[in-house]
Amino acid sequence: MTRFTPWLFVAALATVPLWMNDYYYLHVLITTGIFIIAAMSLNLLLGYTGQLSLGHVAFFGIGAYTSALVSLGFKVHIAPDTVVSLSPKPVWFAILCAIVVTGIVGYSIGKLSFRVRGAYFVIVSISFAEVVRLVALNWLELTQGPMALNSIPALTLGFGDYTISFLRKPQFFYLMLVMAVVSYLIVARLVNSRAGRAMIALRENESLAMSVGIDVTRYLVLATVVSAAIAGMAGALYTHYIRIVDPNIFLFIYTVTMVIMVVTGGKGTLAGPIVGGVVFGIVPEVLRGMKIVPEVQWIVYGVLMIAIVYFLPEGIVPAVQRALASGRRAFAGLTILTESKAEEK
Amino acid sequence: MNQLLQHLLNAVILGGTYALLGIGLTLIFGIMRVVNFTHGELYAFGAYCMYALVMRLGFDFFASLLLAVALGALVGAVIELVLLSRLRRADIDTTMLVMIGAWIIMQNAEQLIWSGVALSITSPFPSNPLVLGPASVSWTRVYVFVVALLLIAGTYFLINRTKLGKAMRATFQDRDTAALMGIRIDRIHTATFAIGSSLAAAAGALLGPVFVVQPTMGDLAAAKAFAVVILGGMGSVPGATIGGFVLAFAEELGAGYISSGYRDAMGFVLIILILLVRPTGLFARKERIG
Amino acid sequence: MKMLVGSLALVAALAGTSLSGAHAQETIKIGVTQPLTGAFAASGNYVAQGTKIAEEEINNAGGVLGKKIQLVIEDNKSNPTEAVTTVEKLIGQDKVPLLIGAWSSTLTLAVMPKLEEYKVPMIVETSSSGKITTSGNPYVFRISPTSEMEAKAFQPLVKQMGIKKADFLNTNNDFGIGSADEFSKMLKANGVEVGVRETMDPAATDFSAQLAKIKASGGDTLFVTTAVEQLTLILKQAKEQQLKVRVVSCGGSNSPDQIIAQAGAAAEGSFHTTFFPPWFPDVTTNPDVSKRYMDGWKKRGFNVGGLTEGYRGYDAVYVAVAAIKAAGKADPEAIRKALWDVQVKGVYGNIHFNKQGPAGKESGQNVPTVYLVAVKDGKVQKPQF
Repeated sequence: MTRFTPWLFVAALATVPLWMNDYYYLHVLITTGIFIIAAMSLNLLLGYTGQLSLGHVAFFGIGAYTSALVSLGFKVHIAPDTVVSLSPKPVWFAILCAIVVTGIVGYSIGKLSFRVRGAYFVIVSISFAEVVRLVALNWLELTQGPMALNSIPALTLGFGDYTISFLRKPQFFYLMLVMAVVSYLIVARLVNSRAGRAMIALRENESLAMSVGIDVTRYLVLATVVSAAIAGMAGALYTHYIRIVDPNIFLFIYTVTMVIMVVTGGKGTLAGPIVGGVVFGIVPEVLRGMKIVPEVQWIVYGVLMIAIVYFLPEGIVPAVQRALASGRRAFAGLTILTESKAEEK
Repeated sequence: MNQLLQHLLNAVILGGTYALLGIGLTLIFGIMRVVNFTHGELYAFGAYCMYALVMRLGFDFFASLLLAVALGALVGAVIELVLLSRLRRADIDTTMLVMIGAWIIMQNAEQLIWSGVALSITSPFPSNPLVLGPASVSWTRVYVFVVALLLIAGTYFLINRTKLGKAMRATFQDRDTAALMGIRIDRIHTATFAIGSSLAAAAGALLGPVFVVQPTMGDLAAAKAFAVVILGGMGSVPGATIGGFVLAFAEELGAGYISSGYRDAMGFVLIILILLVRPTGLFARKERIG
Repeated sequence: MKMLVGSLALVAALAGTSLSGAHAQETIKIGVTQPLTGAFAASGNYVAQGTKIAEEEINNAGGVLGKKIQLVIEDNKSNPTEAVTTVEKLIGQDKVPLLIGAWSSTLTLAVMPKLEEYKVPMIVETSSSGKITTSGNPYVFRISPTSEMEAKAFQPLVKQMGIKKADFLNTNNDFGIGSADEFSKMLKANGVEVGVRETMDPAATDFSAQLAKIKASGGDTLFVTTAVEQLTLILKQAKEQQLKVRVVSCGGSNSPDQIIAQAGAAAEGSFHTTFFPPWFPDVTTNPDVSKRYMDGWKKRGFNVGGLTEGYRGYDAVYVAVAAIKAAGKADPEAIRKALWDVQVKGVYGNIHFNKQGPAGKESGQNVPTVYLVAVKDGKVQKPQF
């Protein structure tokens, strides 16, 4: 049962565009899905290696900008006489570039930031995201700054006469679903491999892991690279869906959303970011549908956050797992009891 | 040359306020290890208190400051008791998320009560500035600077020369031994958070009349406060003080001579540089990392 | 198992929202997307208040096409992704035949692709970026002026004010940068020397560094483009640093009343461009409309400082209703066609739409009047040169 449930879930989701005619709901599902992909990648850092990265949105944004710039083409003067330019490239190539660039950035950041841990690392990660935001804001020649890069093309894949354009929602929903499944599989493979076990070891007790000979920096950097690349891919998807990108993509509130999804869902579990993502992606829209003032909507959101973190500190998924397990145990106990009673008869 | 003098004067005055913001946070973040996202909101709370007391209720300007600080301590204590007390042994990210939730609630509550329109607090000082040669500064800012220094000195005295301060330092150095020595740990936690919050409220109450009061004012202040804490070393009051001035100088001279658009980036760039080169900050004692 | 629960919860939640959204067909809906929370909340709320005044007036007069109008106002949280979500909801769920929004240029640009996708027109009430009407989107109809128009309108005053060297201080976003670009272009074309161009973050509160540089530059006039909160602080800090230049604020989001109230003596001698001067309703193109708007505003007890922004929403609703009436039905395509022929006497002036942008896909652009007011003796006055 457990082995096939994820696939059943995916199959169920795949049917959604067939019956959901309301494009607003599809839109909410698509944006939630993209953030869930980013949350899954954050889970790798936050949940499995235990590093509290609050700068994750930087990878998301760098992926978004890279993909946008490669698909639109750009021209910059890096020195008064030297110009670097690129003509517009097909979108699928742009997305690949985004993944590679973000991975490289992840590598560099990983190597540099993991000299510190804990609360210091939190601050470094926030600072990194802020600096990236300010660069995107001020380097007008490259990014257009606050004037935004717009008219970003949508993804089209084609062979000869067959082209699929991922402009409209139903097609994009499938694209998002496929990328989500791919990301999930990558994360799952990594986590269940030797590298993954090393990461969990260093999360639990770094000094002990080191003493057993685990190269901590290497695994941390590996986690960062994979995490960054997936987040960059999510950012690229986002930018070809919304088709405009501006420095607001680096807003701290997006990181907060991703962290909430991971922690309330259950960090260190594969299903955690998905459940957390569903809850905190849908909740703001449900609140919007209720007839309450926007400030109160936010307040309810905040209260809900605190409540879940308070009462289910490990997250929703582990809590449900425990409830099911104790349910099973109770059920098993009951069976034994009734069986023994039957025998006594 | 004149421009440089003005920049330097600006930096000195700004440094005092950054230092004040930083020492409140260094107590909470540095000692309690709570990533306190409500610090900015306590700053805003202090400013709104001043507004309510001075502009709506007509209280005396200086008495209102004291009242705002006291209320800030109260709010801090409440936050600690209600939200943080059960999370003392929890992960850093659990407390962090709870603080983020509290931040969202406080900021939107402020907007709900006062609306997003900026409010101003009239200061009793003359609006003509104090002129020092080619540079000038407003009297209100001079007052803020002086009070900030007094508060910083007071906090230093509290931490290092009183019994409470000693108890605080002991608790955060080694909680279990402190408990064995008879220190009431929960009271110390609450007191530390309350003191840190009251300092943030003080900064807000002082700066409210200098700037304007609006619900989002705390966000930028909090960002600067974190920068100051990292610069100075977590948990070090003298460190935060000096860190405050370092940040102010970096910003003021950076904006003046390099680029004003990147002014607020200075803080973050400094943080990254410091953390890469000297992770413990400029002044903290050697701390085990990891 | 947990995922099954998760997905059931998801569908249930969405289904629940749709049930709560059941609507009667007796009203004609107009969608409004504004920043009601977040960084632009103050202005967004003023605009929303303006729309509500218009809604009530129109409904009291019988509505349009025999039905009452109903504004569906959504909060875009000052955030482009949210802006897109609000538009999706308004078009997809509430099925509005036209929209008003989205306040800032970035927010408007973010939703423009959706307008084309769903073929629903939008009346742009505040945004100033040129890109909005030159991108070839035939579903955009803007009643607010562009920064270029504002600069052009200012041109005759350059000689009158005797501006020889100008410096700029603007906020680091599309609004500020666009305005500074257009004004510096216009000034250079009129023989004025442009000194320094300083910028600041929209959330910044301390401008001492920038002001010190401007002081050193030695210009006679400082053009500032930002929102009212920062403008207040800039004036106060300029006084503290003894910066003796003439300050001209641009952009129309500057609320001189609020500035006088909060900056006090520091505001003395400053000039402000505005697209509606509530202190002199008689000089506006349609004084009776202006007075009606102001009376409506004061009657509802809204903050007087918001008069300089609320009219954007007020006019937008009247334009919307005029188009619906001309179209004869609440159909997006018919309304879009009708917008081209609309002539409304609004607070902005005589509103009509000229074609702007690439041929075949033009957007609509109104040409409002631009006014300049001065602050003298603690009051807003007509400038004397």
